[in-house]
Amino acid sequence: MGAVNFGYGISAARGMDLDRNDLGPAREIADEVPEFRACIACGGCTATCTAGNLTSFNFRMVHTLVRRGEYAGAYREMNKCMLCGKCRLVCPRGINTRGVVMQIKRKLGDY
Amino acid sequence: MDGLTFYSGFVVPFIVGTSVLFAVIVYKYVRWFARLPRRDKLSVRRGMFSGATVAAAWECLMESLLHRRIWRVNPALGYMHTSFALGWFLLIAVGWIETVAYLGGRFVPLQGHIFFKYFTTELQHGPRWGVNFEAVMDLLLLYVLSGVALALFKRLRSRAMGMRRTTQLRMGDRVAMASLWFIFPMRLLAESFTSGIHGSGGFLTGGLGGVLATVVPAGVMPIAELGAWWGYSIALGVFFVSMPFSRYMHIFTEIPLIFLRRWGVRGEVGREKSFDHFQLEACSRCGICIDPCQMQRDGGMTGVQSVYFIRDRRYNRLSRRMADSCMACGRCEAKCPVGLELDTLRVGSRYTLNNTPSNDRWAYARGGNGRSDIAGASLPSETAQVGYFAGCMTLLSPRILRAMESVFAAAGEDVWWADREGGVCCGRPMKLAGEVDAARDMMKLNEELFRRHGITTLVTSCPICLRVFREDYSLRGIEVLHHSEYFQRLVAGGRISLKAGSERLTYHDPCELGRGCGIYDEPREVLRAVGELAEPSETREEALCCGSSIAGNAIGGVAQTLMGRAVGRAFEATGASCVVTACPLCKKALARGTELPVLDLAEVVERHLMTAADSK
Repeated sequence: MGAVNFGYGISAARGMDLDRNDLGPAREIADEVPEFRACIACGGCTATCTAGNLTSFNFRMVHTLVRRGEYAGAYREMNKCMLCGKCRLVCPRGINTRGVVMQIKRKLGDY
Repeated sequence: MDGLTFYSGFVVPFIVGTSVLFAVIVYKYVRWFARLPRRDKLSVRRGMFSGATVAAAWECLMESLLHRRIWRVNPALGYMHTSFALGWFLLIAVGWIETVAYLGGRFVPLQGHIFFKYFTTELQHGPRWGVNFEAVMDLLLLYVLSGVALALFKRLRSRAMGMRRTTQLRMGDRVAMASLWFIFPMRLLAESFTSGIHGSGGFLTGGLGGVLATVVPAGVMPIAELGAWWGYSIALGVFFVSMPFSRYMHIFTEIPLIFLRRWGVRGEVGREKSFDHFQLEACSRCGICIDPCQMQRDGGMTGVQSVYFIRDRRYNRLSRRMADSCMACGRCEAKCPVGLELDTLRVGSRYTLNNTPSNDRWAYARGGNGRSDIAGASLPSETAQVGYFAGCMTLLSPRILRAMESVFAAAGEDVWWADREGGVCCGRPMKLAGEVDAARDMMKLNEELFRRHGITTLVTSCPICLRVFREDYSLRGIEVLHHSEYFQRLVAGGRISLKAGSERLTYHDPCELGRGCGIYDEPREVLRAVGELAEPSETREEALCCGSSIAGNAIGGVAQTLMGRAVGRAFEATGASCVVTACPLCKKALARGTELPVLDLAEVVERHLMTAADSK
């Protein structure tokens, strides 16, 4: 009889070194979609996400990591997006989220 | 025989220009045609010996020569284009007849027709066949010159010609345009000098020739004459050489375009194809597409309109920003005098720039454990004949969902809700972004879902879904209806009754529903049953876009808001107390742009449902 699994666990220790991360691509993305800089990471995009309803896809996590220069896996993750555009409608900062998705897919394919 | 030689040194630039022009045109057309898919070639073969050919010839006359569609949009611009096209054509055609009238069936080389006045000074002047050809030719020249004057005026003052903006030009266009403007004044000058020396010519060339003969010393006249003919020939030569590489390629290309279109050849949504070349080079860059564009008019986004997109794509300088900066609302397409498939061309370029292999990226949407249904989707119903696909945007608008529920209940409809608990997007946003392969896979998921549930009717509230269901899905045996069509049928069939009211409503045509699917009357019919309908100034085929189109990936929040407000003002001007639309995305976009309440058609129907208590 093991313990009941509630879905919680201990994450591996990890840290971000913003001095070492290459923020170039993140800046390029923000230059293409300038309002992306106004993101408050509220998570409205993730809450309403059509793809997120079907699988463990978290747009807020992806774009927050991208803004900090953590690009690994962002492209693969981003390909789960269906581009339906709901996140753009709920975004309280009026960010062109679909534009952000397209930019991540175009600029971060190599990471 | 008559001692006419039809040769002089100055004809060389003209001969060279004409040869280059025809060589390039034949090369281009043959190459483009050869690369058409087999299906298109078959359809050409079938269409060639049918009424379509006659219709195409008629359309060529009406459009390539008379420019009827430009007249409809802007009469001043129509006059300018017609004076060039028809005027020049008649100069050539009547010139040919003139040659035959004077010289009979004798062979005359090409330059003999074009420089007829210069080579035939020894001939007896005066009317032939009872026609004063000199006067007729002068009149035609005057007609073309009036067009040239208007073109100059338009470059200086586009506003006075009823255009807020005219197109910016490329270098090749400048060369071609300058030489084009020189052609007819040079011809006037050359013919006038010749007429002045020989005392011939009609009212225009003869008159001007007389004046020149008195002003210019007699010794200088022959030199000036030859100089003017050289100038005329060089202007023609330069124009002909630059023509296939400039926007003036449209003069000839519109003709094969019209024929191919009449024979059933079309652009393919979501792909570039060889037929696109005919469309790209048939664009005269008249700039009529600029003014209807709301991104230009209200959103402050200039230089990305269809005319610029076509220019950049034609010269292989297309940027992603250019390809993406379009709402695909279809307003420019509705106005294009050449009838180009502007949205199709733009989306085709997005495919080339953005498409990546799908790689089964939607595997997650299939249910686990070998189930092939969409994970978490659908309330099962074994009996329902009618399926309802809300679509992503409707799922974000609970009031529309509730209204649909009420209407279904009132009509006693047994409905299967296809995506209530979550579903896969219809695929159109993905397709419009250019990722056609991934979109195709999404469509397959939904197709399988619909087929498995054995429905015969599929209702959707979202015009974006509606359009992709109709255009891209293969749903044999399933009738796809927009909820406006469904409501209209329910009312007409007496399955629901609506209470009449006195509220003044205005209706917004969603782009995908109106221009996209041609549905204008059904929602209006429903609205007229419940209130008074006030139309905004631009409506139906000319309706404004809400500004938040799903195709606009590169349009920022500011531009969207500006466009939304402009649309809002247009609705407020109608004096209506409520804006009704039939698209959940438009509803959200419009609500940001106006103080008026914005309702979906479903909500209006729900509010006016006649209940048992009402009918007593």
